Amino acid sequence: MITRQLGSEVRWMLRRPRTIIGLFGLVLVPIIISFGIWTASDEGGGGPGLAAILKGNGMVVPIFTLFLSLNLLLPLVASIWAADGLAGEAQHGTLRGLLVAPVSRVRLLFVKLFGLTAMSLFAVTLMAVVGIIAGTAFLGTDGMMTLSGTTLSTAEGLVRIVLFILLVTFQMVSIGAVALAVSSTTEHPLVVQAATMTTIIVFQVLGQFPSLDWLHPFLITTGFPGLIDVMRDPIPFGQIWDSTLLAGCYLLIGTGLAAMRLITKDN
Amino acid sequence: MNNRKVTLAAAAAGVLTGAAGLSLLAMPAGAGQPPSLPNIAPETLVEQVLTSKPGAFGGTVEVDNKLGLPSIAEIPQLADGKHSARIWTDGNGKLRLALPNGQSEQTIVDDGTTTWSWNSQDNEVTKSEHKDGRKDEAKPDNAMDPATAAKEIVSKTKEFSDISVDGTARVANRAAYELVLTPKAGEKTLVREVRIAVDSELKMPLRVAVLTNGTAEPVGQVGFSQINVGPQDSKLFEFTPPSGAKVTTPEAKEEQQRHKPEIGIEQALRGENPQIFGTGWDTVVGARIPADAMTQVPAEAQGLVDRFTKKVSGNWGSGKLFTTKVATILIADDGRVVAGAVPEQVLFDTIGQVK
Repeated sequence: MITRQLGSEVRWMLRRPRTIIGLFGLVLVPIIISFGIWTASDEGGGGPGLAAILKGNGMVVPIFTLFLSLNLLLPLVASIWAADGLAGEAQHGTLRGLLVAPVSRVRLLFVKLFGLTAMSLFAVTLMAVVGIIAGTAFLGTDGMMTLSGTTLSTAEGLVRIVLFILLVTFQMVSIGAVALAVSSTTEHPLVVQAATMTTIIVFQVLGQFPSLDWLHPFLITTGFPGLIDVMRDPIPFGQIWDSTLLAGCYLLIGTGLAAMRLITKDN
Repeated sequence: MNNRKVTLAAAAAGVLTGAAGLSLLAMPAGAGQPPSLPNIAPETLVEQVLTSKPGAFGGTVEVDNKLGLPSIAEIPQLADGKHSARIWTDGNGKLRLALPNGQSEQTIVDDGTTTWSWNSQDNEVTKSEHKDGRKDEAKPDNAMDPATAAKEIVSKTKEFSDISVDGTARVANRAAYELVLTPKAGEKTLVREVRIAVDSELKMPLRVAVLTNGTAEPVGQVGFSQINVGPQDSKLFEFTPPSGAKVTTPEAKEEQQRHKPEIGIEQALRGENPQIFGTGWDTVVGARIPADAMTQVPAEAQGLVDRFTKKVSGNWGSGKLFTTKVATILIADDGRVVAGAVPEQVLFDTIGQVK
């Protein structure tokens, strides 16, 4: 019963044209990055952070791509799916049917959350896979060079990529959970997307002010840069763990609020 | 209905847990209960620190810097703020340092025969092989046994400062004694006290904090935030330059950087034959920059100097004063330079003695 519901939820999501177009857009990112680095002049590395070690280091492309996309693109995609999940259904009048159906509303929320997680994982993995292919094709690879100057074997590099996929997906799902909470309060999917993206952008702006440093530990965006530690060798897990815990708190708050709203909603 | 209320309560509890978790994460890690350790005489502790040989360990060092130094592009770790570095050593001279700088990283590996320095920013490796004579050089001619040397240092230190053990502390989850060096009342220094947390077992400093007059918080603190003692992975002490990285020698690098303004100042400041005035905490180091070196300082560097200094003059002449919370540097216009962990007046009084 539950597996059928989960399966049909993901199938519905995949069948929406905007999902297909969105995924296609996401896949373009690593291709453009690889192509851009490939055509850039041969002189020096240059560029800050990971960009400096991209040359001749195709295995870093998936990590670089996801790291860049985590700031705006992936939260946007998560908010679209969260918006479709509840607000979109409400708009089409189909949510009413689901709410009166003899299915627990908490289960309905978990089905939606599962759809969000499955699609996020799928999108992030797809980007990473295309990143590996495009990076290797355009930039070549001898294993994976880390920020610490060590070279990992291809297998070790793949482990890092998988770890990064999971970390990024978790951040994305946490943002999506908060978006689901917004989604449960409105019938307009656009409101959900606008609210989520505004929050993410405002958080990032607030993160730039040193005078607000007391506020920074509360912002989910504060945890994003620390995830780059995956590319250091050996990996320092401190910041990665902190970022994941921070996102976990958002996941709890988002899911809790969405559940409270759904339970008390009058059809 | 009852069922609904339970679910609602569970959901609310989830929200509260998340909010509580956020506040917990935002709180600085508590220092924890100070451990109770057997009493130890400060003199003994200092001797043990000086004679103990730290073995292999790996850890994360956090630097909290409020010195008020200008930020220099080459060494971002010096700028005000919090910085962290990771360090591994096998206890026998092999060393690895990882210095993250934003999303880049500088790695320094000393494998016993060669020092490798890698910077992810420019994909460049600097390789410097140890000179054969280096090891012998390190040993002074009249080699004393470390215990005697330690006693010597303790008595020298006690001449100018009061040494005490001020309770215990927990640093990086290890029990430590808080060793406090306080300059004697007669010392004309900016430093109020230096607190050194010494590991109760390894007798190695885990944290050093410098406190100055008029501040409650340390102006500078260096300490382990995490440490694991014991043999480290030997792979950490090897380094192979990544393919595609440019490998240079320090000499070539210096040549390449000659035109950079910071280097100009550094060379000018280095001067020749530093002269030492005074003893103890108010020791002042003086030097005279050759006139030609003064004029060689490029205009940009001059601008940098002007930005961070204030113009001063007195019966000793005129010059520029650079002040941080723990040290003061006075550069006279005629090339005399004095510096020390002292208030500016001491420098004005001393500069006349610079030859």
